[in-house]
Amino acid sequence: MILIGENLNVMSQTLGPALRERNAGPIVEMARAETAAGVDLIDLNIGPARRGGDELMAWVVNTVQGITDKMLSLDTTNLDAMEAGLKARQGPVLINSVSLQTSRVDRGLELARKYNADLIGLLWSNDGMPRDVNERAMHTVDFIYKANALGVPNERIWVDPIASPVSVEINQVKACVEFMTMLGEIAPGCKSTVGLSNVSNGAPHDLRGWLNRTYMIMLMRYGLHSAIVDAFDKDLIQIARGRRPDIVALVHKLMDGEAVDIASLPREMANYARTVRVLKGDSLYSHSWLEV
Amino acid sequence: MAFEIPKTAYSGKIKEITLGKGDKAVKVGGETAYPFYLFEGEMPNLPKIAMEVYDCPPEEWAAAALEPFAGVTDDPVAWAQKCIKDYGAEMICLQLLSTDPNGLDRPAAEAAQVVKKVADAIDVPLIVWGTANHDKDTEVLRAAAELCQDKRLILGPVEEADHKKIGAAAIGYKHTVVASSPIDINLAKQLNILLGNLGVPDDRLAMDPTVSSIGYGIEYCYSVMERMRMAALTQQDTKLQFPIICNIAKETWKTKEAKISEKDDPKMGNARKRGILLEAMSATVLLLAGADVLIMRHPEAIKLAREMIADLTAK
Repeated sequence: MILIGENLNVMSQTLGPALRERNAGPIVEMARAETAAGVDLIDLNIGPARRGGDELMAWVVNTVQGITDKMLSLDTTNLDAMEAGLKARQGPVLINSVSLQTSRVDRGLELARKYNADLIGLLWSNDGMPRDVNERAMHTVDFIYKANALGVPNERIWVDPIASPVSVEINQVKACVEFMTMLGEIAPGCKSTVGLSNVSNGAPHDLRGWLNRTYMIMLMRYGLHSAIVDAFDKDLIQIARGRRPDIVALVHKLMDGEAVDIASLPREMANYARTVRVLKGDSLYSHSWLEV
Repeated sequence: MAFEIPKTAYSGKIKEITLGKGDKAVKVGGETAYPFYLFEGEMPNLPKIAMEVYDCPPEEWAAAALEPFAGVTDDPVAWAQKCIKDYGAEMICLQLLSTDPNGLDRPAAEAAQVVKKVADAIDVPLIVWGTANHDKDTEVLRAAAELCQDKRLILGPVEEADHKKIGAAAIGYKHTVVASSPIDINLAKQLNILLGNLGVPDDRLAMDPTVSSIGYGIEYCYSVMERMRMAALTQQDTKLQFPIICNIAKETWKTKEAKISEKDDPKMGNARKRGILLEAMSATVLLLAGADVLIMRHPEAIKLAREMIADLTAK
């Protein structure tokens, strides 16, 4: 399981201003902390960065690549900024991301080819978010076809089926799991990723990890290659590194519909069990889902 | 092989609760199937209709909505009695419009006195509805709960922000709580959990999913109510197995379509008929989605809704 740390982010109260002011201190500190936490890639999220994004991305790449040996993930929707970052980068790099929108897909794929970069293939089309698993499959085929035609091989593509919050539409949460069971057949050799924290968007802050970790286990079961995660969720890293087979076994059991007496489980395990029930759609989500 | 009509597999039941007290108390809930699916389960209590009474004379109402209450709109007691005597109301909903801090801002103690007067004058269940201003509703509904202890009022709207204080008063003075959430099934469930944790007994809790008129997003209300019933009846979601109350009258009658006169817009047709049908049809949609109690206004709209209930449940 490959982990991409999400914490170097323009949305952060401290890092946002540091990015704008080109103040390297907090940026370096965060990159070091993520490296120490044990993630595999560090995501550099500068947001849409409409003005001066190219110069900003080049600066962040140069600031971070000197102090970590991790692969970097360049995260912006501004393709000029993306190209500037790719130019500056010396070492392995991931483009986060290229969507299927007509205005973006060709240029995004061309950047991947030109700079020998891996890329996240975001299944976001001209019609927006895919509505179900079938549209995800259809978009994947489209994306790969376009990528191959432009000289980008499957092995470079990390397909992102787009996770949505559990409190918004449970069928979309389920669709990503189902999609993972199909990806290997639709797109042999392709990798996959998911913005894991999306699933817990809107949930009480201190409880989000339960949803993130449980959903990761559910997706990993069907071959999820990587995920964009909170680098400082220690339990998540333990699970991703295979150190919590007990939790994984419990989640699989519940996914298979085996009867589990949740009340008799220790608190930690009961929390995972209740979260599986919510993410499978067996029980409707509420902010108190761990209590009922 | 003979054809067999597929049946929904139900695993849950809506809780049956009693509203009000005495001979005229009404039971609602108890369903074991989707609304009016009498071929799949039971609907032991037919949906009930509460008639609206306002605690101050209405302003800017459509003529059609005022006409049935001519002469009583400045006296909530007389208004409530007329609804029961002339129109056969089986419940009353007292809308405490005058307490609105952005309007007349009547003090809580005064409003509670009006509630008491109405409660003393009628024997059918009394729903008491605030203005959805959390601070003011907390004051008003707590005062009413205390002054009318043992009257078994039905208090709403109780929202997440004011559920603790109003909920506590309802528990202490033995009233029923209407948990109100903003057209969101997850938040509806959450509020029911919170009220349960607070100590509101299951037989004194009903839900208000927040509704709107035809033409103003009623399809969202329908969808949320439908999903509530699916979770309650087929997924054993005990936290959603509560009767649903829909405060629909004021949503329909405040629309332009119900209020504009035929003179001002001839192509809209007869205003009276239009307003009544808008209310009746909105009510019908909500009945089909799972409403257990409808708060309605016009006697003829109510008659149409009752006929619909009778037709759908005819043996």
